[in-house]
Amino acid sequence: MTDTTNQVADNTVTIEIDGQPVKADKGSMIIEAADKQGIKIPRFCYHKKLSIAANCRMCMVDVEKAPKPLPACATPVMDGMKVYTQSKRATDAQRNVMEFLLINHPLDCPICDQGGECELQDVSMGYGRDVSRYVDSKRVVKDENLGSLIATDMTRCILCTRCVRFLNEIAGTDELGGIGRGDRTNISTAVGASVGSEMSGNVIDLCPVGALTNKPFRYKARAWELMATSAIAMHDGVGSNLYYHTRNGDILRTVPQDNEAINEAWIADRDRYGIHGLKNQENRVTQPMIKENGQWREASWEDALNMLVNQFKKFDGDEIALYTSNYATTEEYHLLKQLFDHLGSHHHEHRIHMTDFSEHDRMPRVDVALADVAEQQKIVIVGGHIRHEQPILNHKIRQAWLAGATVSSFGPQAFAPNYDLLHDFTGNSINWVKQLASLAKSVAEISQQKPTGQLADWVMEQKTDEDINHLAKQLLKKDTCALFVIGQISEQHPQANMIKALTAWLAQVTGGKVNELFTGANAVGAHQAGLFADGDIKQKEHRLNLIYQAEIQDFADQASIKNSLTNSDFCVAFNAFCDDALKARVDLILPIALLPEVTGSMTNNYAQRQVTMVAQRSPGETKPGWRVLRVLGNLMGFDGFDYEDINDVMSKTERYQAEPAIIHQDCKVLQPAVKGLALYPHQGIYDGDQLVRRSQPLQDSVLATSDTVCVNPSDLLSIGFNEGDLVSVEQGGRYAELTLSVSDQVPEGSAVVNMGRSSSLNIDAGDLSVGIIGAQS
Amino acid sequence: MYQVNPQSNDKTLANELLTGETRAHIDEWLSKYPHDQRRSAVIGALHAAQDQNGGWLSQEIMQAVAQYLEIPPVWVYEAANFYSMFFTKPSGKNKVAICTNISCMLRGSEKVVKYAEQKLGIKLGETTPDGQITLVKEEECVAACTGAPMMIINGHYHENLTEEKIDELLGGLNS
Repeated sequence: MTDTTNQVADNTVTIEIDGQPVKADKGSMIIEAADKQGIKIPRFCYHKKLSIAANCRMCMVDVEKAPKPLPACATPVMDGMKVYTQSKRATDAQRNVMEFLLINHPLDCPICDQGGECELQDVSMGYGRDVSRYVDSKRVVKDENLGSLIATDMTRCILCTRCVRFLNEIAGTDELGGIGRGDRTNISTAVGASVGSEMSGNVIDLCPVGALTNKPFRYKARAWELMATSAIAMHDGVGSNLYYHTRNGDILRTVPQDNEAINEAWIADRDRYGIHGLKNQENRVTQPMIKENGQWREASWEDALNMLVNQFKKFDGDEIALYTSNYATTEEYHLLKQLFDHLGSHHHEHRIHMTDFSEHDRMPRVDVALADVAEQQKIVIVGGHIRHEQPILNHKIRQAWLAGATVSSFGPQAFAPNYDLLHDFTGNSINWVKQLASLAKSVAEISQQKPTGQLADWVMEQKTDEDINHLAKQLLKKDTCALFVIGQISEQHPQANMIKALTAWLAQVTGGKVNELFTGANAVGAHQAGLFADGDIKQKEHRLNLIYQAEIQDFADQASIKNSLTNSDFCVAFNAFCDDALKARVDLILPIALLPEVTGSMTNNYAQRQVTMVAQRSPGETKPGWRVLRVLGNLMGFDGFDYEDINDVMSKTERYQAEPAIIHQDCKVLQPAVKGLALYPHQGIYDGDQLVRRSQPLQDSVLATSDTVCVNPSDLLSIGFNEGDLVSVEQGGRYAELTLSVSDQVPEGSAVVNMGRSSSLNIDAGDLSVGIIGAQS
Repeated sequence: MYQVNPQSNDKTLANELLTGETRAHIDEWLSKYPHDQRRSAVIGALHAAQDQNGGWLSQEIMQAVAQYLEIPPVWVYEAANFYSMFFTKPSGKNKVAICTNISCMLRGSEKVVKYAEQKLGIKLGETTPDGQITLVKEEECVAACTGAPMMIINGHYHENLTEEKIDELLGGLNS
């Protein structure tokens, strides 16, 4: 019998680096072991999240018994290996490589944006010669226009190919490549196309030199003038960790902050360039404004708040309603709830992006933590354009696919994801839900189980086909359980609760898991604060309406909310921005700061509470929302509003508990009738909140939407118009003027309207019947 | 290892620009490699496309090859721009590539280049006005050092070059 006590399955080897014993995983590279130990090895092409290229040769180290220096990034560790990073052979090799890398690199650091934070500069100071021996001419590489987000100076490129590998491996879009050979190689696109990934900005951080830099940030500041503020992204439910870089209280750029559990080393372009919306002064309110006889006048905070207090006193609690978006801090939500409790109103709603209010508000069901999504083997997307809804989640799904997972999707359109789909079931807004029901029927028939209540009857009415049966069988296989990701298209759908109930049932029968996506960075915080109501409060007329950090464009039913606001006696907006559509419908505007300008906590889709710090001074008389609400509470004479600072409020919100998120399966079956075309209200990636709507770099990028209505080519004949014509989309007697466009990706009988834009203000996402007629103007 | 990402299944350009013969040729190359390594067929595919297109590769035909192989266009560009046997600009009917790598250089390839340039009245990388001959811009070692200096005419090796031999070879092309 062998003694096994000392033979714990050990996947590590011990090597020695610069005399220090270091434990390293078998098969890992020397550079990983050195990094873990904090031993510095210079590198350009190596990046922990990318594949190994070993083409810059900067990480040369001296390995005992090896005949020549070896690249640390591509040399696997071996037990007992002795590595020297500082020996003469190592440093000679590093110095020589450095000299070669600098041959064609311009010495234009004083005019280079990367100067001061340049890996090439740092490494050349640390490992290079102090004086250049090179006297010949250097090469020049023509620049390309990669769009509005990334600036190029390709002459500075040292061909590390990190950007090429990022776009191939992480983004999955393959826009860049190494063209040419030898000293004439350059990194460029195939046909001068711009880089169109939703995560493209990460190549800026990856580029070790000044070849790819942040275009809107260009020539704005030097790295050493900037202060970093740790913060949380506010554009989706992921809550990516980032740093705002500020100079004199002004945010100049955003960079990612590593967090393995959330965004790894990446951020979406939306999170990087959203701040440029803050710089857009159009419609920014900086002073309290009062409307008198149809004319706006600036007012003091005192007058403005007194006016509001007088209005509050005029009405019963029942006559007062609140609508808030999902990208404010939990502290603001907490104070709003406190205020409304004192006012005696329960008509407060954060689900303004939804159209189905037949169930109560709750926490999102999340069975699989964000980081673990990458380990799933079967994924089914239910009504979600995940790539645009939560780019980081999409990245995890892609990681799962790269590792061999199968992904299927149900939705109102084919979305061209950056992974292959096993099945892509598309149909107009009504039909794709029926296809999901068909899947339920197929699963029910195979497993001999049925959904409960009305849902069962409806499911059993559906027809199944070969593809549906194939997916059903795949899901019922007991080898691994499937993850159902319910996207934001489902959340906004008039049949949202049916879709969710069906999915929950499917997960229950197939032994699967469910992750539900909620719109907004802090929908969970708003829910925990209690800002929800029973049913659709828009349906009831309120005499006093409060809009909190929301624009009309943030609502799903934009036409209906305009009506509700117009029909009330008094309407107040607590907003950072106020466009004409909102100004026309409110009587009082209180300028409150938007997220990068406030401190507070946010709870993401995955129930992770994170604190974000104020990064930028808010302009003019703008105040943080919590402070305004606190004073308002005091002026009303309510108890419990004597907070001294934001920490006092945070001590309340940090006690919020996560509640179990249960999707009720016995829901009502609603079958909206569709006359004409079925509307798919499409939420564009850069139309989701006040900042991205105003961020010029994002609006100029290839992913930005336009004022169009998109249909299937086969519907053109019955519509009677051609691509490019200006048409009116008619819904319930209202019209939206849009340009007609055509795409094969849109199913027949469907009209895709880009929501969240000023062109969509007459459209309700909850009313699926639309027609396309001639332009009305 | 590179990743083959999902590509658009639009094959319009490929069907429009690539002849049936070219497509059959590419299919043969594709059959030699596993589907997830279909990138390997790019060189064979480019040869077929170049032959079809009068000896050079236009932007559109490279795009068509990418579509047909279902790989990113940039991969096709990379290969076409890397190898000296592919021409991304219109070129002459006959391609003359003089090796200028180390063995040939030691054996007088510079003189060969000069002589050929003088004789044809063009520089390396240029094409004679009658469109007959292109002097390939640069040719690296093709493993025929024993016969240095050497050149490749339309894929055929010609070794131990002398002025007479060059006259004969180039003269043969003009007729």
